Amino acid sequence: MQPKKRKYDVTLLTALLFLVAFGLIILYSTSAYNGEVKFHDSFYYLKKQAFATGLGIAGMLIVAKMDYHIWRHMALLGYLIAILLAVAVLFVGEEYNGSKRWLSLGPFSFQPSEFAKVAVILLLAHIVSKNVKEMVKLSALAKVMLLILPIVGLVGASNLSTAIIILGIGVIVVFVASPKYGQFIFMGVLGTGFMTIFLALESYRLERLEIWRNPEKFEKGYQTLQGLYAIGSGGLFGRGLGESVQKLGFVPEAQNDMIFSIICEELGLFGAGFVMILFLILIWRFFVIATHAEDLFGALIASGAMAHMMIQVILNIAVVTNTIPNTGITLPFVSYGGTSVVFLLLEMGLVLSVSSMVR
Amino acid sequence: MKNKTYNRKKILVVFCCAVAVIFGLIGRLVYLMVFDAKYYQKKAEALHEREREIKAARGEIVDAKGTVLATNKTVCTISVIHSQIKEPEKIVKALSAELGMEEDEVRKKVEKVSSMERIKTNVEKASGDRIREMELDGVKVDEDFKRFYPYNELASKVLGFTGGDNQGIIGLEVKYEDYLKGKNGTILTTTDARGVELDGVAEDRIEPVAGNTLKVSLDYNIQMYAQQMAEKVMEEKQADKVGILLMNPQNGEILAMVNVPEFNLNDPFTLNTGNSDELSDEKKQDALNQMWRNGCINDTYEPGSTFKVITAASCLEERVVSLSDNFSCPGYKVVEDRKIRCHKVGGHGAENFVEGIQNSCNPVFIEIGLRLGTNNFYKYFEQFGLMGMTGVDLPGEAGTIMHKKENVGQVELATMSFGQSFQITPLQLATTVASIVNGGERITPHFGVSVLDKDGKEVEKFDHGRGKRIVSRETSETMKKLLESVVSEGSGKNAYVEGYHIGGKTATSQTLPRSANKYISSFVGFAPADDPKVLGMCVIYNPQGVYYGGTIAAPVVKNIFENVLPYLGIEKE
Repeated sequence: MQPKKRKYDVTLLTALLFLVAFGLIILYSTSAYNGEVKFHDSFYYLKKQAFATGLGIAGMLIVAKMDYHIWRHMALLGYLIAILLAVAVLFVGEEYNGSKRWLSLGPFSFQPSEFAKVAVILLLAHIVSKNVKEMVKLSALAKVMLLILPIVGLVGASNLSTAIIILGIGVIVVFVASPKYGQFIFMGVLGTGFMTIFLALESYRLERLEIWRNPEKFEKGYQTLQGLYAIGSGGLFGRGLGESVQKLGFVPEAQNDMIFSIICEELGLFGAGFVMILFLILIWRFFVIATHAEDLFGALIASGAMAHMMIQVILNIAVVTNTIPNTGITLPFVSYGGTSVVFLLLEMGLVLSVSSMVR
Repeated sequence: MKNKTYNRKKILVVFCCAVAVIFGLIGRLVYLMVFDAKYYQKKAEALHEREREIKAARGEIVDAKGTVLATNKTVCTISVIHSQIKEPEKIVKALSAELGMEEDEVRKKVEKVSSMERIKTNVEKASGDRIREMELDGVKVDEDFKRFYPYNELASKVLGFTGGDNQGIIGLEVKYEDYLKGKNGTILTTTDARGVELDGVAEDRIEPVAGNTLKVSLDYNIQMYAQQMAEKVMEEKQADKVGILLMNPQNGEILAMVNVPEFNLNDPFTLNTGNSDELSDEKKQDALNQMWRNGCINDTYEPGSTFKVITAASCLEERVVSLSDNFSCPGYKVVEDRKIRCHKVGGHGAENFVEGIQNSCNPVFIEIGLRLGTNNFYKYFEQFGLMGMTGVDLPGEAGTIMHKKENVGQVELATMSFGQSFQITPLQLATTVASIVNGGERITPHFGVSVLDKDGKEVEKFDHGRGKRIVSRETSETMKKLLESVVSEGSGKNAYVEGYHIGGKTATSQTLPRSANKYISSFVGFAPADDPKVLGMCVIYNPQGVYYGGTIAAPVVKNIFENVLPYLGIEKE
């Protein structure tokens, strides 16, 4: 199984670099005000993000050059580390905005849940591809899902949105590996029912639904409403890069989850559409790589990355446009978050590595 | 380990789902950004915009000759915006030097973390311009209008002053507020969530409309001279206050209205007595209200003998007396059980009506008052407009204090006949006398003449109208002659001005309580006596020493006439 010639997916790489550069520009535009107000340094967020991006790109290039089959041996270990870190964050995690999600490492803070996503993709790709013959059976599918439940539970304790993303990645990878459809429809129905009960159990989640339907009537709908103001203010062509008013403290922490609304305000429908097309190109390349991968392990890594990217992009934009109730999900490569960008880029490295070995 | 066909198919399914959902979201975006855009844009703008008012320049007040009596001065407000300050120490030094403030005081404000901190208001424009030229980051110089009165105390109680929002508080400034105030403009600025204004975002401006100019009948020179005369006599007689009125008896235009002590219109909240520090806030406010009172129209007094003009006119009109009627004055007159004294203790002896008015003899007027009777007295009081107000265009005019007709007996009628036991304002007396001698038609005293736009073009002319006839032309002629003889031969001779025919009447009235021995001395005069062009009145409150109106008030009016008559172009005969 020697690769004949290493040839990376150029389209993916181009779209990716475009997105990363674009993300940094938008991040600066969005965070300059908050950085100035909080730290008297308009470059505060950009500097941290640029550092993480540099680190991530270096890592990505290294990983892309490596034979991705090496990771088979590390998949289980990586998963165990992810669980350990998730446990650690429960006890010694740093709290920020009321959520314990970070581990402090000197000047850096590290978000274990971002690592967990990559670890889960690798683990599932490894396990599923090894036991591909079993995947016809419902019990095997259930076993695989059970395998990732610990990390879903641990992450979900403090960060429900990321837990849903991990679960989603799991479901998609297993779906791809299984030849059947029926049981997934069954699973979907079951999942929906489960979600309904889950939501009903805690009143604050139902309140979220109310806020979602009528953001103007609730004080907690403030963030959503401000995001909508920003989107609506954009119009077709936007106010121009850097000209957003909503980022000036109206949309709270505009550089985080709600950054897409500022893209809409500054660059308009066309700018926002352009960003979504970039993400679509990315997802399309993942799809192409997954279908052309030389083996199932590679295909599943690419499928996992595709699942990860699409879930996160879709959920983020759906939240920002108030299409679904508010939940904290960042926009890949654009929202502020060092750990996120590093591991996303490493994941891209994996996919590039898979792409270099297509048949 | 092969990547099987069904795997590819399933990846395709997932991909297709993703594409479908993403296009769905793009659709949602199109909906939000195209169809809902207006709604959200409006909401966002309402959230971002702050309205700032631009004060409209208040209209000026000019006198009959165009001299500006009230205008506006550009002043500056200096503030600092904490988040924009780059060199705090430099700002502290520069501002404290330019504004004459303690460095510590400025530093405290510069270092305070707030969106905007005001350092000083009402800074001279030159000073504000210098600060602006220093181009200090974070220092803001805003221009504003402040009412300015070039002649400080001149006609203070007539002109009035304005408050913090440039609205009139007393005087003409209140009465003509609607003409003077103009229309404020607005600046709509965009701010961030903390309310800090953003640079470089286009402002929407609605330009202010300046107020119109009010032209009044006051004459700066006459007012100034009358004020000096009033101050002089107040000083000489150590009086509490002195009021002087000059008006055109033909149309009611007021040429001067002096109430000394006046106060400084540019500093109306400082007491002119100078000892405001020890007073409580409430007492200080009372003292200020007292200081702002316009005695000529806000306060009433017993007119005394000047009122005999009105009694005489009523009796002549009613024909209960003729000029040749003979009277006898033993120094008093008994009415019912009361002995009412004449001011001349020994009495005036035998005299006809002309001599009676020249002597200002009380028994003569008691006699004719009783002849007139209560009903007729009230009829003429009403007819002359003494029951109501004069309708002068100043706020707060006081009404007449008069006996109820059914309570009036012979004694009350007798005292009213020579101007006691009821109260009217000095302006009411002057207006009624003017109306009697101008041919017999009631006039409305007033200041406002016309409204001019900013180019000086007349926009509106006030019509104060000529009121109804109150006495016949014949009675008016007789009264002019009688009153001229008071000055040429009688108690008013101190008002005689060489070369002019002056008519007039003196008065000395004791204030209540009588036991306090306080007096009000007054004189009302007009010239030329046969065709009055100007009527003057001087009221001296509580003079010390000699207190006879003929002795102290008449010379004041004489002095003013001596100067004002030539000034008004009234030739000597």
